[in-house]
Amino acid sequence: MIVGSPKEIFKGEARVAMTPESAKQIQKLGYTCLLETGAGLTSNFSDKDYKDAGVQIVKSASQLWKDSNIILKVRGPEKSEISKIQPNQHIISFIWPGQNKALLDSLSKKKVTVQAMDMIPRISRAQKMDALSSMANIAGYRAVIEAGNQFGRFFTGQITAAGKVPPAKILVIGAGVAGLAAIGTAQSMGAIVRAFDVRPEVAEQIESMGAEFLMLDFTSDGSGEGGYAKPASKEFIKKEMELFREQAPEIDIVITTALIPGMPAPKLWPKEMVDLMKPGSIVVDLAAEQGGNCEVTIPNKMVETKNKVKVIGYTDLPSRMATQSSNLYSTNIRHMLDDLTPEKNGVPFTNMDDDVIRGATVLHNGKITFPPPKPKVAAIAKHVEKTVQKTQEELDKEKIEAEKASGRNQIILLTIGAFLTWIIGLYAPSDFMQHFIVFILSCFVGYQVIWNVSHSLHTPLMAVTNAISSIIIIGALLQMKTDNDIVSILALISVFIATINIVGGFMVTKRMLAMFQRS
Amino acid sequence: MTTGLLTASYITASVLFILALGGLSNQEKAKRAVWFGIVGMIIAVIATIFGNSVFVTEWLNWLIIAIVVGSIIGAIVAKKVQMTGMPQLVAALHSFVGLAAVFIGINSALLPHSEMSNAQLMIHNVEVFIGVFIGAITFTGSIIAFGKLSEIITGKALILPGRHTLNIIMLFACLALGYMFLTHSGNWTLIIMTIIAFIIGAHLVLAIGGADMPVVVSMLNSYSGWAAAATGFMLGNDLLIVTGALVGSSGAILSYIMCKAMNRNFLSVILGGWGDTTGPTMDIEGEMKAIDIESVANALNEADSIIIVPGYGMAVAQAQSAVSELTSRLRAKKKRSKIWHTSRCRASSWPYECTSCRSKSTV
Repeated sequence: MIVGSPKEIFKGEARVAMTPESAKQIQKLGYTCLLETGAGLTSNFSDKDYKDAGVQIVKSASQLWKDSNIILKVRGPEKSEISKIQPNQHIISFIWPGQNKALLDSLSKKKVTVQAMDMIPRISRAQKMDALSSMANIAGYRAVIEAGNQFGRFFTGQITAAGKVPPAKILVIGAGVAGLAAIGTAQSMGAIVRAFDVRPEVAEQIESMGAEFLMLDFTSDGSGEGGYAKPASKEFIKKEMELFREQAPEIDIVITTALIPGMPAPKLWPKEMVDLMKPGSIVVDLAAEQGGNCEVTIPNKMVETKNKVKVIGYTDLPSRMATQSSNLYSTNIRHMLDDLTPEKNGVPFTNMDDDVIRGATVLHNGKITFPPPKPKVAAIAKHVEKTVQKTQEELDKEKIEAEKASGRNQIILLTIGAFLTWIIGLYAPSDFMQHFIVFILSCFVGYQVIWNVSHSLHTPLMAVTNAISSIIIIGALLQMKTDNDIVSILALISVFIATINIVGGFMVTKRMLAMFQRS
Repeated sequence: MTTGLLTASYITASVLFILALGGLSNQEKAKRAVWFGIVGMIIAVIATIFGNSVFVTEWLNWLIIAIVVGSIIGAIVAKKVQMTGMPQLVAALHSFVGLAAVFIGINSALLPHSEMSNAQLMIHNVEVFIGVFIGAITFTGSIIAFGKLSEIITGKALILPGRHTLNIIMLFACLALGYMFLTHSGNWTLIIMTIIAFIIGAHLVLAIGGADMPVVVSMLNSYSGWAAAATGFMLGNDLLIVTGALVGSSGAILSYIMCKAMNRNFLSVILGGWGDTTGPTMDIEGEMKAIDIESVANALNEADSIIIVPGYGMAVAQAQSAVSELTSRLRAKKKRSKIWHTSRCRASSWPYECTSCRSKSTV
């Protein structure tokens, strides 16, 4: 089958759904690749790069739509593109079916199968095709870059001959993929980063990225299904606002990334907060497309308030880094195709029993299959009740307790042991007791010796103990001197097999240890 | 040879055996340690032969043949075995010790012991009984372990319905036969007990999955030690007691350490109740991504720090030197590569495969 990728016609869209690299991989799945001429130019991939990767270049979009069985796109089909759709075509693209009901309806009339890259369930198996995450990652990075572009100071603190430069203080609201990427970028540029999220379980992730988690003293949990946030209660928002009011005058850059699935973005940074900020501060609103987290945000624009705070509402951040975005997005798509083509025979199979494919498929042969049933697996493990951190004092106490307990146990065991020995001593003849002393002492020696053996030598140890255990040959030798033929034969067999064990055991041990010498 | 000289030889041999085990605390000493073991064994055997005039037996020719042929077979087997086949070999060798213990025990019962007092005879019979019992379990257990490791027998745990009840019934049967044996019902009780113990040993190990065999082999190692110690008691031979106890306790501790490393319950291993403690297998999250050689090379080139986790597979593929070369090349590129030796993970319950590589690649 033929996989084609047209030039994106949405204004300002610079990404492309197929790169030379991904095309190579797609061909390995048994497909033939087509590309509309010049589709990769905005991402810095020339037609020649594609040709070298074995992609056929097609002169016009109509030709490409006509020839391809599978269309790979970034943005959902525009009106002009819908008219080009062939029956039974297969489209993989961002669709946003929840927000774009009309698009879905018009597509359904065309008897097509559509996989929406934005509908891939967020389970670990599907991470490799999670285009939302890879785009969010880029957006988070770019948000910091855009902010730095407008910000009048260094990110990192410096002490120079010309004076001291304080480090920039950055607040990231919402620690999803974008938020974490922003934290990481800002952190590596030397800024002091703080982060806030309604889901307490992300605290660890925030801290692992090097930011400080602003803890709200509140017990409600903002985690919703599928690892996303859910709307917060009134009291919670009140507390949250108090926290932000405290932070706003101090913070130089705010990056907001808070989204709740299927709802307009929560207004977490009202005008009041913007007014509280210092002149020259920056707000980057990554939720601008969904209405913005900041009240001042105007989508696709940068506005400057009266108190000289710049509010950036760009919605095309991934597209501003088209090469990187195209690389990641095309890899996501390639993985999607990979899952759609389990036989690697160049024929896609939309397996509706597969959770991931079922979730992504919004149209199956013209039938609307959106919304998908709820995923069977929870995306993120339920938040575990936080264990109370034990103080050093308590830990010490426990340690002493444990030591005492083990001491008590030892005394009890020793008492029992002594008692048992006495009982044996009471009845057993004296020569048995003499052997018994030897036996017990040897057990102790063996016990002490083995704890010192290094972990790496456990296997040779096993081999050497095996060889030594063939000391049983002595028993057999002692029984050789007898008139009883059966005894002699049995003893002889014992000697024979014990000898095999002695020689074999020691030689194997030597061979094992020889491996250590070749370093 | 006088008794004093014999005892002195035994003391020397015991000390050498202790040193042989203790010497494994580090790799340099380990090479010497094996020699201690070998010399100890030679001293012990020669002292026994001359100290007790074993050579006056009419079976002397046969004895020499047995020793010579046994040595040759042992040498050939040890030389021929693949490094990856070592576990099986050790398991097979254990079965020999077990069988020898059974034979010696039976012999001991067959021989007349008129000079013993009643109490002595009683103790002696208990010793015979224990020695044969442990020896028999070791024998069949080791054979099954060998079979599972060399994949002659399926590695799957054989779980018979009511296997615990079965074990307990067999154990009680053995105890009953033991009581009859002690009350002089005749040697047939000992023979039947041996057969039942054979079944117990096989059944215990059959119930354990192939992947968990290493601990089992270590445990059987311990059993073989106890069998030797019991033999020592019945023959009144201190060297046997010392060595048996050494091997027995060290094997037990080793199994215990292994169990801990593998997060297993020690008691359930000894009792063969392994299947009981195994919960549902851990859910594996994420997905295995197959990758081709080219991409691996790319990934390695672009990575900043690399962790290599060697496992049994590397040993099977004989890839130690390849891995070693890989690490040295990565080092040359100033990568922070690191071989994460997995002596604590399950794949290397035979830690040896990894360590041999570790020592070679000096990681």
